[in-house]
Amino acid sequence: MSFSLVWMPDVLLSAGLKVALTDAWEMRGHGDVGTIRGVLCHHTAGPRTGNMPSLNTLVKGRPGLNGPLCQLGLGRDGTFYVVAAGMAFHAGPGSWQGVTTGNTNFIGIEAENTGLENDQPWPDVQMDAYRRGVAALLGHLGLPATACAGHKEFALPHGRKIDPTFDMPAFRAGVAAILGGTAPQPVLIPKSEPTAPGKTPRATLRRGATGALVSTLQQLVGAKVDGSFGAITEACVRTAQREKGLVPDGIVGPKTWQVLDARSTPGA
Amino acid sequence: MKLESLDLAIGMIVVFLLVSTLCSALREAIEALLKTRAAYLEKAIRQMLDDKDGDKLTKSLFEHPLLSGLMTESYLPKPAKKALWFLANGRGLPSYVPASSFAKALLDMAAHGDDGTQGSGGAMTVESLRARLNDPNCPMSPRVRRALLHALDTASGDLAQARKNVEDWFNDSMDRVSGWYKRSTQWIVFVIAVAVTLIGNVDSIAIAKHFYQDEAARNAAVQSAQTLVAKPDAPTKEEAQEVLEALELPVGWSAASVPQGGEWFNRVLGWLLTAFAATLGAPFWFDVLNKVMVIRSTVKPREKSPDEFSEDRQRPPAPVVNVPAPTAAPAPSAAAPNSGGANLAAVIAVAQDQLDCCGGEQGEPATDEQLPAAKGGVQS
Repeated sequence: MSFSLVWMPDVLLSAGLKVALTDAWEMRGHGDVGTIRGVLCHHTAGPRTGNMPSLNTLVKGRPGLNGPLCQLGLGRDGTFYVVAAGMAFHAGPGSWQGVTTGNTNFIGIEAENTGLENDQPWPDVQMDAYRRGVAALLGHLGLPATACAGHKEFALPHGRKIDPTFDMPAFRAGVAAILGGTAPQPVLIPKSEPTAPGKTPRATLRRGATGALVSTLQQLVGAKVDGSFGAITEACVRTAQREKGLVPDGIVGPKTWQVLDARSTPGA
Repeated sequence: MKLESLDLAIGMIVVFLLVSTLCSALREAIEALLKTRAAYLEKAIRQMLDDKDGDKLTKSLFEHPLLSGLMTESYLPKPAKKALWFLANGRGLPSYVPASSFAKALLDMAAHGDDGTQGSGGAMTVESLRARLNDPNCPMSPRVRRALLHALDTASGDLAQARKNVEDWFNDSMDRVSGWYKRSTQWIVFVIAVAVTLIGNVDSIAIAKHFYQDEAARNAAVQSAQTLVAKPDAPTKEEAQEVLEALELPVGWSAASVPQGGEWFNRVLGWLLTAFAATLGAPFWFDVLNKVMVIRSTVKPREKSPDEFSEDRQRPPAPVVNVPAPTAAPAPSAAAPNSGGANLAAVIAVAQDQLDCCGGEQGEPATDEQLPAAKGGVQS
């Protein structure tokens, strides 16, 4: 048996977004959700380091409040972490467009951000994924962009919550543009490097890949060389990407290859 | 007073959860000995194969190379018995048969005979199967032949689809096995629950009185409840035993606990209550406990100082759980302990919508290495 929101990963994937599933997400929830009437945007107010440090808390909850605390987590690299297909405790008392039962009727998205000065502005890749993700969910449900609210707009009494820190009307305008088809198509990472004379284009690698090219990569990022792209290699890639100001998604595409090459030959 | 009666209810739920955990553990021990589920599975296969005594097609099926590996000993059909069906003995039989193995083996037997020596030597096709099944000399019973022919008819000439049809037929039957097993479990757990209640003298009424009169006992029970719901899974047998002993409940037999005269009525009622409660099962009580603890956390005044996690935020940190404003919802505190089932569900629903996250204490942060693998975002 699984809860109602099992359609979320497919919808997000077809919007060109990165999606990662937590264990047993289909069965997770405080019972099932009701009819979905919108999407509520949050930020986690979690730690500053890492891609999605709050994921454990979102799944398991915290002292005094059992998880799941949202349906979707959004990492700093724009990856959606699917936490639960059932009801989550994310909304609390509040009201948006007449809906007061937020946990029952809203999908909650918790984006990783401290909510403090040390984490502003939000990464472009995360904001872009936030807008596209919300638009994809609303599009699937046949709801307009106005069905998306910030937790700070929903929560009552007003001022009880400050999340998310970004401007919600501008965010909704962006969502409306995607829903209306006037926004540009999502930019996907190419499958391999562009063909250049005298060089074999290297394939884009991500977790799960194996082979000689992975071993090369592991040497470049200083991970244990075993030819298998696992969680530790991915974490090393993310660290390297952060150092160079790339999107720290652990996916080794053309840009990351280029940067890793430059790093390995400092004299060149 | 409101919180007291809620705590009393929590205490009772904890006791029921622990007793039913013990009963479930005993039931599992009995199942490990008897393998009732395997017996039911065999019975269902006999029914499907129209082989009441299990010595014809069923025997050939269990001895088929595709299935014989699932058996721990060779198949000896036992005569069908009616008595004590809920304690049926299935030792040596497989407790699980994959639908695909069943379908492959049965179709193979249809094509090549029970021992693989009959029929044409050629590969199996829908036509060769149909010819074999329509052959009046086919050893299979007419009912089985009809079922298989139907599977062929609805396969539109595709052997894989025909096998899938047979698998569906098998899976339908397995749903029935689950039903039998569930009913048998309910009976056995009830018998176990009565035994546990009597041997342990677990009298719900006496325990409720104990919680009512003794605040320390109530608090201890609520504390156990908090540790129990902090874990994602229902307690194990060992945990249940530990907590039960720590609670120091008025249970067990002593000279003073033997009921006198008029006490018998209440005592028997208390036993029955415990036994019925335990029959509902540990998962049920664990679920109820989780929900009631949610209600409690919404009506309870906060125990921790709200400032303990504060950094220099732009607002006061959110309380761990937001206490609903009295106007926002019907006060759950007034309704919770005494209301009936539907009302309780409504209170839970209201309470659940009062909970939110963002900010507050965080658990252990997830490192990048612990994150699950992502898909998507790359051109295909």
